[in-house]
Amino acid sequence: MYWEKELETIDRRALESLQLDRLNSSLRQAVKSPGYCRIPEISKIVKSGMTSIAQLGELPFTTKEDLRQGFPWGFLSMDKKNVVRLHSSSGTTGNPTVVYHNREDLQSWANLMARSLFSAGIRDTDVFQNMSGYGLFTGGLGFQYGVEKLGCLSIPSGAGNSLRQIKLMRDFGTTVAHAIPSYLGRLFEVFKDEGLDPRQDTQLHTLVIGAEPHSEEHRRRIEELFGVKAYNSFGLSEMNGPGVAFECTEQNGLHVWEDAYVVEIIDPLTLQPVAAGEIGELVMTTLDRQAMPLIRYRTRDLTRFIPGPCRCGRTHRRLDRIAGRSDDMFIIKGCNIFPMQIEGVLLKLPEVGDDYRIIIETIADQDEMLIEVEVKKQWFTGDLDFLAKLENHIARLIRDEVLVRPLIKLVEPGSIPKSEGKAVRVFDHRQR
Amino acid sequence: MTYQVSVFLENKLGRLEKVTAVLKQAKINIRSIHLNHTANGWGILNLVVSNPELALRLLNEGGMSAALREIVVVKMADAPGGLDDLLKGIATAGVNFTNAYGRVVDDGGSALLVIDIQDIPDARIKLGTIGFEIVADSQVYGV
Repeated sequence: MYWEKELETIDRRALESLQLDRLNSSLRQAVKSPGYCRIPEISKIVKSGMTSIAQLGELPFTTKEDLRQGFPWGFLSMDKKNVVRLHSSSGTTGNPTVVYHNREDLQSWANLMARSLFSAGIRDTDVFQNMSGYGLFTGGLGFQYGVEKLGCLSIPSGAGNSLRQIKLMRDFGTTVAHAIPSYLGRLFEVFKDEGLDPRQDTQLHTLVIGAEPHSEEHRRRIEELFGVKAYNSFGLSEMNGPGVAFECTEQNGLHVWEDAYVVEIIDPLTLQPVAAGEIGELVMTTLDRQAMPLIRYRTRDLTRFIPGPCRCGRTHRRLDRIAGRSDDMFIIKGCNIFPMQIEGVLLKLPEVGDDYRIIIETIADQDEMLIEVEVKKQWFTGDLDFLAKLENHIARLIRDEVLVRPLIKLVEPGSIPKSEGKAVRVFDHRQR
Repeated sequence: MTYQVSVFLENKLGRLEKVTAVLKQAKINIRSIHLNHTANGWGILNLVVSNPELALRLLNEGGMSAALREIVVVKMADAPGGLDDLLKGIATAGVNFTNAYGRVVDDGGSALLVIDIQDIPDARIKLGTIGFEIVADSQVYGV
């Protein structure tokens, strides 16, 4: 049932005292970095020692911008000679964000990853194909080390090359695969083009999906296409990468490993904690990282705690699926809109394909939201009225959800460019 | 049963030619063409061709959304008033169609009207009873 029963089912009070111990040592480690030693609140609390987790709220936040300004070594808390690996973001919009690990850091990350996979029912008897980019992106090596720690036969197939992915799956009897959700739709199309049905022609029973926000409907669609259970994985490179929070077999929220992180959810505007169960921005503090501890890191991911205990018996709290990023939200006609709300509506419609684009434009001095959707081939009968009514129907459903009526444009199947890596869905062309 | 091939098309440069290129390659002859479009930048292309089943398969394989729709093709006189006479008859018979388009036949005296309609069997009976000639597949497809 559990990878580490004692830690996973630990009593909340014992967990808090464990957190407090680890937090104090984490802070002591953090002030060894040039970035944190400059912050008086942190130096002060290191001297006196924290007596309650609540005191964490007195410390300042760390932002992505802070990490970029500290590039490259500003948040490194130990001698470079003891560091064994770095991961880095692409840095297309400025300095990249770099995270360093020593040997112990990599071991505890691999352990969290193994614990996560185990909680989703994956065992050492499984054949695990990791269809994630290897390299600086954490989804490759992060999963690799966890899968090896768990003891599966790993196939480090990397991202892309769908024909080879399918061949590997069939040759080696892959039972579990990891990919970003937007890739799986494309992979299924290649299965179909090859005259294959993943439900019959592979031994897959589980897919792990993550690195990209997706709706419950999207997950259910993937499960149906592949005839598997799909589990949601959450992580970010600043907090190691995958293995931060993971769905157990209950498929009702992602247990966030609170022996490794202190988790807060704040209102991104007031920076105060949100009320219990409310959506806000996830803020995390590392508890077991030595090379680069981070304190109150603002992840920009929006989520909430799912109240109540989980039936699986794990006491670590559950995060709801990511509702988007605090910087993905766009405002149109005075309404705050998250792309996930729109995806939720579209994926409930059987007539519509998995890909869509939201284009925001200024038309005659008005901000308009144009949504391009693909009509699935099997729904096309040559009937113009049916398609015109479908456009109308989609526009009405979206207006009911986000309070702004969009313009819907049907496009030919396959005409929306599939993006490599994380799918970009929103294009804001407004003149400002 | 007579069929037209309907294709979903975005109103973009070169989209129509993508369809005709597929047909040319397969030596499929186009007998009639009719294009519908909406204000939202997409439309439906209707084609009467020499081999609709083959055209459907090739267009779908080429990644396009295509479908076969049953049609009724009626003969009329290729002379002033020919269409009017036909439409009067159709109205009298109580047949309401959603779409129609025509073409001249090279026999020197007649033309064809292609009718896209919801209830085909009903239309066949009604049009037949008022004495219009429903044209056979081979003549529609020109094979």
